[in-house]
Amino acid sequence: MLDIRDLTAAYGPVTALDGVSFTAPEGKITAVLGANGAGKTSLLRTISGLLRPTRGSAYLADKDLSRVPVERMARLGLSHVPEGRGVITELTVEENLRLGGLGRADRAKPADMERIYTLFPKLADRRHKTAHVLSGGERQMLVIGRALLATPKVLLLDEPSLGLAPRIVAQIFDLLKSLVESDGLTIVLVEQNARSALSIADYGVVLNLGKLVVHDDAAVLAADDKLRHAYLGF
Amino acid sequence: MQQFLTTALNGLTQGMIFAAFALALVLIWRSTRIVNFAQAPMAMITVYVALVIIDAGYSYWLGFAAALLSGLLLGAVVERVAIRPVEDKPHINAVILTLGLFIVLHALAAVIFGSRYRSFPAPFGLSGFKVGDMNIALTGFGVFSILAVLAVMLLLVLLFRFTNVGLMMRASAFNQEVARLLGVRVTRMLTQGWALAAMVGSLSGLLIAGGNLVHPAYMDSVVVFGFVAAVLGGLDSPIGAVVGGLILGLSLSFVSGYIGSEVVALAALVILMVVLLLRPGGLFSHAPARRV
Repeated sequence: MLDIRDLTAAYGPVTALDGVSFTAPEGKITAVLGANGAGKTSLLRTISGLLRPTRGSAYLADKDLSRVPVERMARLGLSHVPEGRGVITELTVEENLRLGGLGRADRAKPADMERIYTLFPKLADRRHKTAHVLSGGERQMLVIGRALLATPKVLLLDEPSLGLAPRIVAQIFDLLKSLVESDGLTIVLVEQNARSALSIADYGVVLNLGKLVVHDDAAVLAADDKLRHAYLGF
Repeated sequence: MQQFLTTALNGLTQGMIFAAFALALVLIWRSTRIVNFAQAPMAMITVYVALVIIDAGYSYWLGFAAALLSGLLLGAVVERVAIRPVEDKPHINAVILTLGLFIVLHALAAVIFGSRYRSFPAPFGLSGFKVGDMNIALTGFGVFSILAVLAVMLLLVLLFRFTNVGLMMRASAFNQEVARLLGVRVTRMLTQGWALAAMVGSLSGLLIAGGNLVHPAYMDSVVVFGFVAAVLGGLDSPIGAVVGGLILGLSLSFVSGYIGSEVVALAALVILMVVLLLRPGGLFSHAPARRV
């Protein structure tokens, strides 16, 4: 579904990604792991076009994404939830969700919106409040709901667990798992928290200093003691 | 009593005009975080367009519409040609650029339209209504000014609250990166924001010009008051701009009527200082204090 081939990117003279290649399998969760500065966020930003590759490319169902403008990605079926959640706090909950539905080729219908409110009842209670009042967990739910309204094929999630209580993280991860099963969604999940990410992921990719260290089934990575100690910190 | 009424009505009309100018500033600030110093000369150019049409014998309203339309166009062109290249640079670059534009447009107007004073017509009466045997300070044109600004404010609220374009413009203003990721064409929204703002600026220019003399610098005295009104309201809030304009218009009118017209500019400054001391973000801000 999402093919990463020799992806290389830099911030000015600093190389952020160096020849990364792997395939995120369709209808599965792929965890991207590694220490701070390993290039996880850069990987997502390069896939969605916020950062342009200097070499290589990402392919979504065989379409080369390296020349697609960021604004077109949602329409192609790629949703990227950036780090720090990307809630537009000045807008209401409902307006944030409406925005998600605008990016797709066929505009979102009221029924789609209701589905999100059923998934996240807490958002329904506050639909006309500004998103500013939401808690961290609720914000994460809002951005996931907003991304779903664009009916993506591939969802890129950057550190959804950041700053959230373990109980909330577990909730959100369960939800991701069920979305993959119900919608056939392909998820690329960047996580600092390797242990819980590997517990829901089917596949895993480990980065270090912008380079790919290993990619394999999540269970294999979780069972590799050396790898866990060297790169995953658990 | 009559003086009080006269002063209040004068202030109301003045305030609405400040409000329109402030509204134009707010629209650009909201979408690009740029204070557009060229707002006044941009409006002035479009008022000259109206004047040329009216002087050629066409109706006031044709000139009025042409000014608004050319405002729309000029706003879009300025954003595309001048602002776009510096959009990803520090905001101060764009601000300095608008200052440069201020000078360029002034010079351009003087070259094209001449710098002599020319009278600009008004579509409605300029003498006060009679109530009983008392002449009040509200003129036909004053009523028109108030209604026009209220109508524009209402349309803007409807646009931003209830339409998809409005929502996309707001999203682009608040968070460009997220908006782009959601499929919003942010650059197009910025162009539309400038176009809209310049049109509102044109309206304020037309209202100031009505029944007055027009020359390349005729808008400049309003600039300061428009800025104060916008900052009073919080720079981010269209409704704040209108309230700011009204507060300023009314207070300045009372200062001028009861204390003396020579302290008006000083009073504007005092009002601004007091408001910013009490509410650093302006009256209608809910965001934390701005970095200026």
